[in-house]
Amino acid sequence: MMVIHGDIKMADLIMGDINILAIIQRLNIPLGFKEKTVSEVCIEHNVDIQFFIQLTQSYRDKDYFPKDHFLTFPVEWIIDYLRNSHKCYVEHRIPTIEKQIIELENNIQNQNSSELLLRFFREYIQEFNTHIEIEEKIVFPYTIEINKSIKDNQLTTTLKKRYSNYHIEDYVEAHNNIEEKLYDLKNILIKYIPPPTTNCKYNTLIFDLFRLENDLKDHSDIEDKVLIPKVHLLEKKLKKLKMEDK
Amino acid sequence: MKIFIGESSYIIRKGIIQLLSQFKEVDIIKEFSTSDELEKALLESSPNILIINTAFNHEDIETAISESEHQPVILHLFNTQLPHDSTKTHLSVFENKATLTEKIENAIYISNENENINDSEELSPREKLVLKHVALGQTNKEIAEKLFISTHTVISHRKNITRKLNIKTVSGLTVYAILNKIIGIDDIN
Repeated sequence: MMVIHGDIKMADLIMGDINILAIIQRLNIPLGFKEKTVSEVCIEHNVDIQFFIQLTQSYRDKDYFPKDHFLTFPVEWIIDYLRNSHKCYVEHRIPTIEKQIIELENNIQNQNSSELLLRFFREYIQEFNTHIEIEEKIVFPYTIEINKSIKDNQLTTTLKKRYSNYHIEDYVEAHNNIEEKLYDLKNILIKYIPPPTTNCKYNTLIFDLFRLENDLKDHSDIEDKVLIPKVHLLEKKLKKLKMEDK
Repeated sequence: MKIFIGESSYIIRKGIIQLLSQFKEVDIIKEFSTSDELEKALLESSPNILIINTAFNHEDIETAISESEHQPVILHLFNTQLPHDSTKTHLSVFENKATLTEKIENAIYISNENENINDSEELSPREKLVLKHVALGQTNKEIAEKLFISTHTVISHRKNITRKLNIKTVSGLTVYAILNKIIGIDDIN
């Protein structure tokens, strides 16, 4: 596997591994690269080159995860990245899969099965939305507030008011694994549902589930290996500030 | 067949994976670079064969394995030369391909023998009964009371069901139960 550096043409990089498009989207980089290199594109769109390279490298190679390196990046970058991926899941990927399951109705012999799958997936959507809501409404704002407090060297009012007793550990304890249900769904589709009348739509659904599961794994890797350790570090610094505040 | 590798060296791990890729019996290989990661994974599921560097924390690993009902075949990997009379479950990074291949082949054979004793992928009648109650949304405690067995036994049945069907979540099991007419779709409303 090729090692990524700033002088490769962005278009070549993506042609070599189409999955990198997910990262491009999460960093809000538009396509239409012409002959521009990775560095040129990054500079043009205000993305740190090292951040891009590390994200891409670890997305492609699961053994490659430079945790210490990631911890040096500003927490806002990581949060933006996670927020953008949430947006893509909620607005596009998950509704697409839901639609595909609805369409299965005419495609599998046993109508009960499709109803069952739909019920299962809708339950999943609910679980997924709750998961995202907790992150968007509590974890991210909390992280931004402690980060700001440390930068300004004093506790922000919001932090004092809203999060006086909150710790990232509260989130870690409740943080469940949102890929598990997708894994089950894939398995049920492959092993236990009576065969569909045509394979084409059915296979597209399985492929999409598979891709979403992989994407989510990458997403939770960034949460578990980067965001949470980063917040732990920030909380340690915050403790000092809190002492002084008293 | 599932194999776990506990070895801190990246190069050695990849070398072992290369050796293992010769065997068609091997379908899942998971690698761990620290004792902690390996221990965590062992608590979740157990492999058929565990290849582990002698530098890993064996005490913790053994406790983790003892929890599971499937006992893996353990191959110990040494960073040093082995004496001539060493057993077939000891591997050394200095050994050649043929020797290592033979030792791994032996481990696969032993593991297969162990498997045949208690491995059918069909659910037993008892497991089907437990599955029915799980699918109906009952807790382990409720199931234990209904079937006059201990909660511990219920948990052990559930582990076996999940392993056999490869379905981890309760709602996934419910879908399976309905598809296989273990419960009716109206039962879950």
